[in-house]
Amino acid sequence: MIRVLPPWLRSGRVLAGLVIVAIIGLCAVFAPYLAPHDPNEQNLVSTLLPPAWTEGGDVSFLLGTDSLGRDVLSRLIYGARVAMMVAVFASLGAMLLGAVLAYIAGYFGGRVDALIGRAVDVWMSFPPVVLSLILMVGLGVGLRNVILAIIVVDWTRFCRVLRAEVMVVARKDYVSAARLVGFSHWRTITREIVPATLPLLITLVSLEMGIAVIVEAILSFVGMSVSATTPAWGQMVADARQYIYDNPWNLMFPIFTIFLAVFGFNMLGDGLRRTLDVRVTATQRV
Amino acid sequence: MSMDMLIAKDLAVSAALADGTVPVIQELNFSLPQGKILGLVGESGAGKSMIGRTVAQLLPPGFAVSSGELMFNGQDLVRMPAETRRELLGREIAFVPQEPLSGLNPVLTIGQQIDEHLARLNVGNRRERRARALDMLAAVHLPRPADLLGKYPHQLSGGMCQRVLIAMAFASRPKLLIADEPTTALDVTIQARIVQLIAEMQRNEGTSVIFITHDLRLAAQICDSIMVLYAGRPAEYGPAREVFARPAHPYTRCLQLSNPSMSGSGRGLYALPERMPGLSALKGINGCLFGPRCPSVVEACNRRQPPYVASENGHLAACVRCETTPAIAAPALVDVGAPVLGEPLLKVEGLTKTFRIDSSFFRRSDFTAVKDVNFTLHQNEFIGIVGESGSGKSTVARMMCGLEKLTAGSLTIAGRDVSDGSKASQAHQRAHVQMVFQDPQSALNPRRKVASIVTQAMEATNDGDWGERLARAEALLSEIGLPPEAATRFPSQLSGGQKQRVNIARALCVAPNILVADEIVSGLDVSVQAQLLNLLLRLRRERHFSMLFISHDLSVVRYLCDRVLVMYRGEVVESGPTAEVFADPRHPYTRTLLAAVPPDDPSAIWKPQPVEGESAAVCEAMVANA
Repeated sequence: MIRVLPPWLRSGRVLAGLVIVAIIGLCAVFAPYLAPHDPNEQNLVSTLLPPAWTEGGDVSFLLGTDSLGRDVLSRLIYGARVAMMVAVFASLGAMLLGAVLAYIAGYFGGRVDALIGRAVDVWMSFPPVVLSLILMVGLGVGLRNVILAIIVVDWTRFCRVLRAEVMVVARKDYVSAARLVGFSHWRTITREIVPATLPLLITLVSLEMGIAVIVEAILSFVGMSVSATTPAWGQMVADARQYIYDNPWNLMFPIFTIFLAVFGFNMLGDGLRRTLDVRVTATQRV
Repeated sequence: MSMDMLIAKDLAVSAALADGTVPVIQELNFSLPQGKILGLVGESGAGKSMIGRTVAQLLPPGFAVSSGELMFNGQDLVRMPAETRRELLGREIAFVPQEPLSGLNPVLTIGQQIDEHLARLNVGNRRERRARALDMLAAVHLPRPADLLGKYPHQLSGGMCQRVLIAMAFASRPKLLIADEPTTALDVTIQARIVQLIAEMQRNEGTSVIFITHDLRLAAQICDSIMVLYAGRPAEYGPAREVFARPAHPYTRCLQLSNPSMSGSGRGLYALPERMPGLSALKGINGCLFGPRCPSVVEACNRRQPPYVASENGHLAACVRCETTPAIAAPALVDVGAPVLGEPLLKVEGLTKTFRIDSSFFRRSDFTAVKDVNFTLHQNEFIGIVGESGSGKSTVARMMCGLEKLTAGSLTIAGRDVSDGSKASQAHQRAHVQMVFQDPQSALNPRRKVASIVTQAMEATNDGDWGERLARAEALLSEIGLPPEAATRFPSQLSGGQKQRVNIARALCVAPNILVADEIVSGLDVSVQAQLLNLLLRLRRERHFSMLFISHDLSVVRYLCDRVLVMYRGEVVESGPTAEVFADPRHPYTRTLLAAVPPDDPSAIWKPQPVEGESAAVCEAMVANA
């Protein structure tokens, strides 16, 4: 049974990462069915309840309530929606922009490469969090703008890493050979170079997803992400911060959730890197 | 009687594979007297490097000595405690590696590395060590040793690095030196000098040397005795001249015959079929390991491993039919006469290529890689281009295919000047000229199946569906001697020789008139090389194409090509019919090149001359520039 699985699915890291990411993903998709309460429903008689298993807990609020009496578990489940949306779309967007420029720069080299390289250098010299904050101020809050801000800030990461790899592949004789039999530049890139760099690309995307979750959490922590009516993990941390002495649980759950999501994406990325990268030898692939 | 420095007694090394253990080395017996050179000869996979690793106890994981002993100066290297061995290695036993650059630490200067080594050998204080280092570098004929000490390895040429390593190896006055293919990564002319240098140092110091090589001719030149290995078992062992002049084992004979000769009239190459069994295939062979490829195999050979048969002078061979070996002959050269030269296909006039080097943002310099090259290639003609690395021969090849633009000059292919590099010219060029790349590893996309690689030209023009392409691929594969099943394999599932065949098949797909082959046999074993050279000659008879064959191996060019161009620093210094140029070289550089090849007759005196590229003047220029 094990034998029919592709090698990347046999890695423990990939499996662990996939399980974590899948759980969070399912929470996001089926939030209305899974959440016991409306995430914005306020219950002002039972605010700052501790988790159900501790003294003073209420079974109907499994992980307790926040300062406005909203159910923490429901908010976490709904918060996964923002986190996953941002993770998926921001990383894919950043990949698209960064990868296209990387293929152009790495394949054609010369002036184009120098131009794109300088652009990346200049871009990367802005502190990323500050840049995204400025962008959010300019663009205004909202899920779409969060995604856009992360794309605009993080495409450089893809561009730089991928460009180096593209340059290595573009120097292989089989790329010259493809040109010699009459492949156009477009065909050479899509048929010869992209397949060779795909493992790296997949790995980068899964790592970027973790980063996107963190950036979104930071932005929502300072109230620069989605509107206050949409539950987001960073927001929950910000709210709970004020009541840290009354109810530390409120702070711990969203932080742990963010940690878990990022950990999942990183495990997935690291596992994929080990199994897909041809340069990693069999002994390192444990 | 001199003492034996290294004795192997029934040494066997085995490897643990997924399905049991396999012998990697078996029945290894030799004795190396003090001050003598033992040559270990064999193709890749024969286990020759494994012996060096056994001495150092640096066997790969899963490999272990299963029986026998290896006595160094009276002590068993296999069973001695690791600490004792560590004391011996680098002091009494020294190594010269295959890749000079990987043998040196890139972040330390030559001086620091020598100093470190001497400090380990407890040589005096810093000043004494420096003096000693200068002596050492002078002993290996490196110019301006004082300047060299401050250089980093990447600032020196491969040959100079190898000299440094040799100097370090001899610094401790070792009793035993193990040189593992010390010249394979170097140019021919430098190869010859390095080999001579090792021999010279060995004579001066009275060191015993194990010289590992794949070149039987070279081994016969410099070694006292030779052991030919096949699949981990010694096939033949005896005095060097004896083994070379009267090979008793069919494998030795075949090896000799598969190497093109450098003198006399041309003869065909003996192309051994298939290839040496790999580790996992060894289990399936009960009889003689060479049996499946042996031309004089009989039924009895396949029953058990043949015992060693001794003849005079302690010449041993593991063959039951030694007497038939001399009868093995190379096939006669298929006599095509002088090839009928057709129309001039390719005309090159004043070809020049200049690269711009940006040494810094503000400073630029020009480097002329190819300078005013002229030649004409006729239909059905094979032209060889020889020269050392950096002579510009690969740049010429790349310009012929349109992979590099011309700086000046003109290139006329089949009546059309393509030097303008326009779209139409490029298409014309592609239809007539195709290239076979040097390194099959890099030339074949590992993610494509063989059929898809071979028919890439059809893909480029959206020609035919997968079924048609597969059929075309199978036709091409049968033409180049691969089974049709290979079409659905990935390159990683093929051997080096098979990959190179696929490489050739891809170039043949568009039926070009001209093939440009850049060092296509250089990384291959001689038996595989012979197969490929014969394949190229057969293809010429069938397809009547012309070829530009770039190689550093003069014997191969002599065998294959009708005319030869000798390139030196971007210029053609001599050209003419191959036989004429080789018999009567005019230019001093051609003479140097020819002298660098060990002669066919091991008793002839081999006197490689110093090339300008290695001479004091150029080395100094390198040091000064770096």
